Amino acid sequence: MAIDAEKIEEPKSPEKPQDVPADWKANIIAFACHYCAFAAADLAGVMRLSYPSNVKVIRLPCTGKLDHVYILRAFERGIDGVFAAG
Amino acid sequence: MTRITPQQDNKDRIGSVLVVGSGIGGMQAALDLANSGLMVHMINDEPSIGGTMSRLDKTFPTGDCAMCMISPRMVESSRHPNIKMHTMCRVLRVSGEEGNFTATLEQKARYVDPERCTGCGACEPECPVKVANFFNQGLDKRKAIYSLFPQAVPNTRSIDSVNCLYLTKNVCRKCEKACDAKAINFEDRDKLVEVKVGSIVLTPGLKTYQPEIRQELGYGKYKNIVTSLQFERLLSASGPCSGTVARPSDGGHPKRLAWVQCVGSRNAHNANPWCSSVCCMYAAKQSIIAKEHDKEVQSTVFYMELRAFGKDFDKYIDKAKRDAGVIYKRAMISEIIEDPKTGNLLIHSVGEDGKTVHEEFDMVILSIGFEPRSDAAEFSKIFAIDTDTYGFAKTSKLRPVETSRPGVYVAGTYQGPKDIPETVIQGSGAAAEAMALLGDRRGTEVTKVILPDERDITGEEPRVGVIVCHCGTNIAGTVDVKRVAAAALTQPGVAHAETIIYACAPDGQQKIRDLIKEKGLNRVVVASCTPRTHSPLFQDTIREVGLNKFLFELADIREQCSWCHMHDNENATRKAIEIVNMMVAKTKRLLPVTSASVGVTHDALIIGGGIAGMTAALSLVDQGYGVHLIERSAALGGLLTKVRANLEGDDVQAFLADTIKKVENNPAITVHLAATVDKVDGFVGNFVTTLTNKETISHGAILIAAGGAEYSPDEYGYRDSDKIITQRELETLLAEKGPDNQKTYVMIQCVGSREEPNNYCSRICCQDALKNSIAIKEKAPNAQVVVIYRDMRSYGLKEEYYSKARDLGVLFFLYTPDDKPQVEPMGDKVRVTLTSKVLGREMAIDADHVILSTGLRPQPDGDEFAKKFKLTCNIDGFLMEAHVKLRPVDFPSEGYFLAGLAHAPKNLEETVSQALAAAGRTGALLSHDSLTVSGVISKHNRDICMSCLACVKKCPFGAPFIDTDGRVSHNEVKCTGCGICAGVCPAKAYQVNYFRDDQLLAMIDSVTEMH
Repeated sequence: MAIDAEKIEEPKSPEKPQDVPADWKANIIAFACHYCAFAAADLAGVMRLSYPSNVKVIRLPCTGKLDHVYILRAFERGIDGVFAAG
Repeated sequence: MTRITPQQDNKDRIGSVLVVGSGIGGMQAALDLANSGLMVHMINDEPSIGGTMSRLDKTFPTGDCAMCMISPRMVESSRHPNIKMHTMCRVLRVSGEEGNFTATLEQKARYVDPERCTGCGACEPECPVKVANFFNQGLDKRKAIYSLFPQAVPNTRSIDSVNCLYLTKNVCRKCEKACDAKAINFEDRDKLVEVKVGSIVLTPGLKTYQPEIRQELGYGKYKNIVTSLQFERLLSASGPCSGTVARPSDGGHPKRLAWVQCVGSRNAHNANPWCSSVCCMYAAKQSIIAKEHDKEVQSTVFYMELRAFGKDFDKYIDKAKRDAGVIYKRAMISEIIEDPKTGNLLIHSVGEDGKTVHEEFDMVILSIGFEPRSDAAEFSKIFAIDTDTYGFAKTSKLRPVETSRPGVYVAGTYQGPKDIPETVIQGSGAAAEAMALLGDRRGTEVTKVILPDERDITGEEPRVGVIVCHCGTNIAGTVDVKRVAAAALTQPGVAHAETIIYACAPDGQQKIRDLIKEKGLNRVVVASCTPRTHSPLFQDTIREVGLNKFLFELADIREQCSWCHMHDNENATRKAIEIVNMMVAKTKRLLPVTSASVGVTHDALIIGGGIAGMTAALSLVDQGYGVHLIERSAALGGLLTKVRANLEGDDVQAFLADTIKKVENNPAITVHLAATVDKVDGFVGNFVTTLTNKETISHGAILIAAGGAEYSPDEYGYRDSDKIITQRELETLLAEKGPDNQKTYVMIQCVGSREEPNNYCSRICCQDALKNSIAIKEKAPNAQVVVIYRDMRSYGLKEEYYSKARDLGVLFFLYTPDDKPQVEPMGDKVRVTLTSKVLGREMAIDADHVILSTGLRPQPDGDEFAKKFKLTCNIDGFLMEAHVKLRPVDFPSEGYFLAGLAHAPKNLEETVSQALAAAGRTGALLSHDSLTVSGVISKHNRDICMSCLACVKKCPFGAPFIDTDGRVSHNEVKCTGCGICAGVCPAKAYQVNYFRDDQLLAMIDSVTEMH
């Protein structure tokens, strides 16, 4: 069967789509390398640069330490975004 | 046999060193000396250490932020137990002699007590005085109480007594009222301090040329003409316009940028006759970064000669041309004028066709050069050292870091213009010389701290203490610290929580120690500032009362919370609670980490018996270590055996013969001739190497000085005529027969260099051409000498010889690689034809000798060699160092060091500097009786490891290996704790101490709890 003849259906999510509440803010974890991205986050503070407060930084010895398990666990527990920086 | 037997005599030598200057060169020297067990007094006259490099935005070729590279060095220097930092300090006089100097230091009043100042900066907004910010090159203003730059070390303000209202007019004292830490001390006075040292290393750094005097260039008159150092600050994210590059006249973003090279350099009139060595490369870097900032930027560089002479430099210029579209125009700029309506600038130049070109730019950057500091003359008198005619410290090219006064060494730009890696190299090289002088006094001036035994917490339930710091108002002004402490107290495992005004102040530290004892705490979280600078301090604090250092975590609620979420107190407080609870979750699971240590074999193995290997060997034995020197040929000497003199006229063969004699007669050096390495086993401190002659050698470090090869050309009919020779052959001809007044010598530069497949500059050929041209013209003034060149790369103080050659009547003609000169033997002459750029037509020269300036190549078997030691080569086949800028003689693998041509082409002086540097780095390592392995390393569990080899493939340090039983084992000595192995291991057989999976998952669970 030719590919274009195949009927492709979008997989349906079991969850019902919900409206985003007006006061909703994403909860974000940032995984940051101790040597660069974590230092950059510090510098942002030293320079008094402002960014949303819903980002929490977890320091890693190197971004290479970032394990897919951490990302999966974060999403499993309802995190809205993961930011890996290094 | 392992050996530490430093030279001994009856002189009373002192085991400490004065390092004058705290830029990147001074810090390198200080850290190497301190690591070898000598006490270091490091002084500088500014309120912070860091020097010129701290002012740079980024560094090429990697585009790394300069501050990110230098900042860890600054913190390390400030925290090193063997380094005493004296900022705002200068040397008044020096008495005594080599081994035993007394230096009188003048410590300027800072008016801020560094013991009390927390670096919070609450004082600055209160200060009513605004003055030009010297650090940002006058582009913005600072206060009279100030920090030199945001990452300053020590992280404390100082009051500038010239501008402070109280110190000048007896009014104000506003900063004093704003300071909760009570750190302001107007009673502070200048003090005299005397220090006794065995040796002195001078690294005072440089001054940049002030271009106002060149009125035709309009600097100081037109706002949109800036110096290159000002442009660094404009590019810098922490600079006056936060890295957006704003035009001084109207704040607009300039699109058309022009760089004018050699401003203040290579010109004896109102400027300096030397080449500043670095401007060609920083202009390329700045143009690339400007393009990264703004895609619409179009850069033009007006240059006289493109001096991209260092390792991979030519490739970087190519990158600027290709990727950033930088236009390079060979032209001298005679005038820049401003369009008063727009503030734009008009540059008049003469194009390659000889016609005048007028171009308009939005901004012009003057590539200003280096010169000795304004106080250089006085400085040389204080230390009683000789200087050259320009005011740079005088050194022999054969002993490049020794000043005229024994025991006083020099490194960096005070010895002549040079870039960052060369400065770092000389820093380590000068340290090596001081280590050789004071080898027997190692450990005599430093104090060893005695700590109580660690408390065994096995089986104890976690009792976490949480200390929330106010940091004056820095945290408490935004974050409700009491609420944070109260929230922490509700967390399981927390035994106590309270707030402290300044946790890092001496009374705060004492409070923490008391709480650990009173409340029986076995783990501590401090919520304050960044762990990058403050963790070591608090770790020491808890260790002093018997808790393992790794039972501590720092929750960053200042840099990463209160400072970023000012005026949003509720959300900042919530975030601080989340951060602290996250750290509590981790800390509860922290386990004591013990650091293992391994013994050190105090011998070095040096591969290569050329001048680099021999210089390093002699330095190491002077420092007190044993050396095995491996040379694959039948004699010592290497490539230098073919060189008779250097550009400066030193007798190279006499120097070489003397060095060989010293090496052969030194009982601590074992020379292994006609031998190569078969295999290397072991790790840093404990290598075992087997040679091809079956000998085995135990050693603690490996220094690779395997050298390079001379290129033997195929170009220009070299193989067809005996009238076509190389520079080296000409050198021999001139030495044996002398130059001939009747003859014409034509030299062709860049033969086999700067073109694919060898697209790099061999660095020495221009110097060779100048050396031989001058030798001919001095003895035979009527001889005709013509040099056909692409760019004469007589960098640094070598410019003097380029101008001398021109004065002697040597002719220089330009060629481009797409239009090379033609060489054709004709009877007893050789006809050289080329297109003359100046005449605009072809010209022919009938030469008696055509001399090809051939370059250097890596060793022909370099790849195989690199593989044997698991090292990597760059695309040209030269060995790659650990870091281009800051670790130029180290390899990424611990215990491996590098010097000489194996690293990149370089001349004799540079080779000697680098060999000394490698010997200094090696010596600092070998000085230890044991090496402590860092606590934060990966732990391997063989029971669950499947030996899939994912870790073996991914580890950049070669720590995991296939053991004799065919399964994977992990060498913890090589491990740096990056955790890449843990990331890739499918069986989770690796856990990184202090970053264990259960600890990190607990943090993730904690941060997802509230939502």
